[in-house]
Amino acid sequence: MIKRKGSQLVIYLILIAGLIIVIMPMIYMVSTSIKPNGALYEYPPKFFPKLKEITFENYAYILGQKKFLNNFANSILVSVLTVGLSAIVSSALAFVIARFRFPGRSLLFGFIILTMIIPGTTMIVPQYELAVRLKTINSIWGLIPFYVAWVIPYSTFMIKGFVENIPKELDEATYMDGGSILVVFFNVAIPLAKPGIASVSIFNFLTAWEEFPWANTVINDDMKRTLPIAISGFFGQHQFTQWGYVFALSVLSLIPILVVFVSCQRFFVQGLTAGSVKG
Amino acid sequence: MKFNAKSRLQILLLLLPGLVVFGIFTVYPIIRLFWMSFFKWDFGSFLDQEFIGFENYRTVLSDENFRIAFTNTIVYTLITVPAQMALGLLVAMLINSISHVKIGFRVAYYLPVITSWVIASLVFKYVFNTEGLLNYFLTNVIHVTSQNVRWLDSRWGGMTVAMLLGIWKGIGWNMVVFLAALQTVPLELYESASLDGAGSMQKFLNITLPGIRGTILFALVMLTIGGFNVYTSTKLITGGKPGHDTEVVLTWMYYKAFSNGKFGYSAALSFIIAIVLAILAVLQFRLMQNKDEG
Repeated sequence: MIKRKGSQLVIYLILIAGLIIVIMPMIYMVSTSIKPNGALYEYPPKFFPKLKEITFENYAYILGQKKFLNNFANSILVSVLTVGLSAIVSSALAFVIARFRFPGRSLLFGFIILTMIIPGTTMIVPQYELAVRLKTINSIWGLIPFYVAWVIPYSTFMIKGFVENIPKELDEATYMDGGSILVVFFNVAIPLAKPGIASVSIFNFLTAWEEFPWANTVINDDMKRTLPIAISGFFGQHQFTQWGYVFALSVLSLIPILVVFVSCQRFFVQGLTAGSVKG
Repeated sequence: MKFNAKSRLQILLLLLPGLVVFGIFTVYPIIRLFWMSFFKWDFGSFLDQEFIGFENYRTVLSDENFRIAFTNTIVYTLITVPAQMALGLLVAMLINSISHVKIGFRVAYYLPVITSWVIASLVFKYVFNTEGLLNYFLTNVIHVTSQNVRWLDSRWGGMTVAMLLGIWKGIGWNMVVFLAALQTVPLELYESASLDGAGSMQKFLNITLPGIRGTILFALVMLTIGGFNVYTSTKLITGGKPGHDTEVVLTWMYYKAFSNGKFGYSAALSFIIAIVLAILAVLQFRLMQNKDEG
């Protein structure tokens, strides 16, 4: 498309104006986290603190509390294990469904996809009952298997698409060489479906990292909480919410996500768009 | 290919872990939920549940609070879904038509999507506080009102904040999805339309929209499900207050189960939501298919 220079400039200006509105809340969060706590209830509120007022006392408080470090470690552990386990089981499901015909295959796949339309939160009552029975209340093991089950449908669906794009001749060549199904899975399917597995893994990391309703139901011990529950936990304890602490912890909890997202941006977009655009 | 015993065993070995996890933690709860919805199943009577047929469904459907929550959810979906899609498409088209820093804009516009719901909700709660930044801006900077607006103290005030958050957080996802779709529309179509003297609006209506119809349907279905999934934002921003006026279906379901101990009621409510979503998904597909033929 040929565009005149003037109209290009207008488009840039519109995009920048929109961007200011879009990232304003995030800038405000960061600026609030570096204000002295006493300044947070003053009226009129200021968007930025004065330069000499800038303080890291909120961060010092958060990093000095053992429970928040625990929360951080819990979140990392839960997210990493969720990502790893779901990558393995979903790749295996996707590989078998993509490559072999067996009775009930399309029924199974259809049912897995169907569960994607049911909001996860609606199952919270029977899942809670299940967690009580399995004695995993107040433990990260009350989170991980539920998160894995939660992300299986989307992950299987996406990875299956990638496996189907691998030429079947590669499988057959390995079988000719005497390789078994497991060898094909580990040496052909997984390496070649890696971009797909990577993109769903980023997605699953985000899901586990930010999940709120279920973790808030299963975990009520301060030390065993994940970050979203720790952040929302500032409410209701004190009469005044310590917004400086809230946002300092929020900023800290966003850092791993930003790192993952910016470094894997390419995979992320691939995964998002693979399901949406039909060629 | 023919499976020998060893192959069968290996296929089973690959299927089993996924099926076991999915079966125990997703399929079993769904069946259990369906079962519970036909019983009088209260916190106090965990041991003696009584089969009551469709009584829970009747109670849910005639409950005034459920109707409020359901209406709120429908309004939330009807407003946030088209708004996110329109704004996301607009941003996608703008980014598509520039020649520099495309990726920079794409990453920046995507930031709200990767911000967790908990954090985004708390930022909005803080900004929309009666003594918050937005009210200060409205009263003292641009003077549109003389009194601070009590956003979080009324049904539609609270819902407005939740809806603004939903739209804000959703634009980036729509942008990325539509940006990819726009790449699939052949450039020659635009060129020949230009030769025929078509304006930008005509090109948008006759080439762009039909060209990305599949993606529009995909986004519509996903976002409608997303609309019914709204939970964290209203829970943290208003907590359903005042009264239960800003409750949505999922927060209401949660309240009935964990604050009221009415598990049967919540189970029936969950199934009603699932059925509504299934019907909506089918309707949306039908609608788009009819357009296809016509």
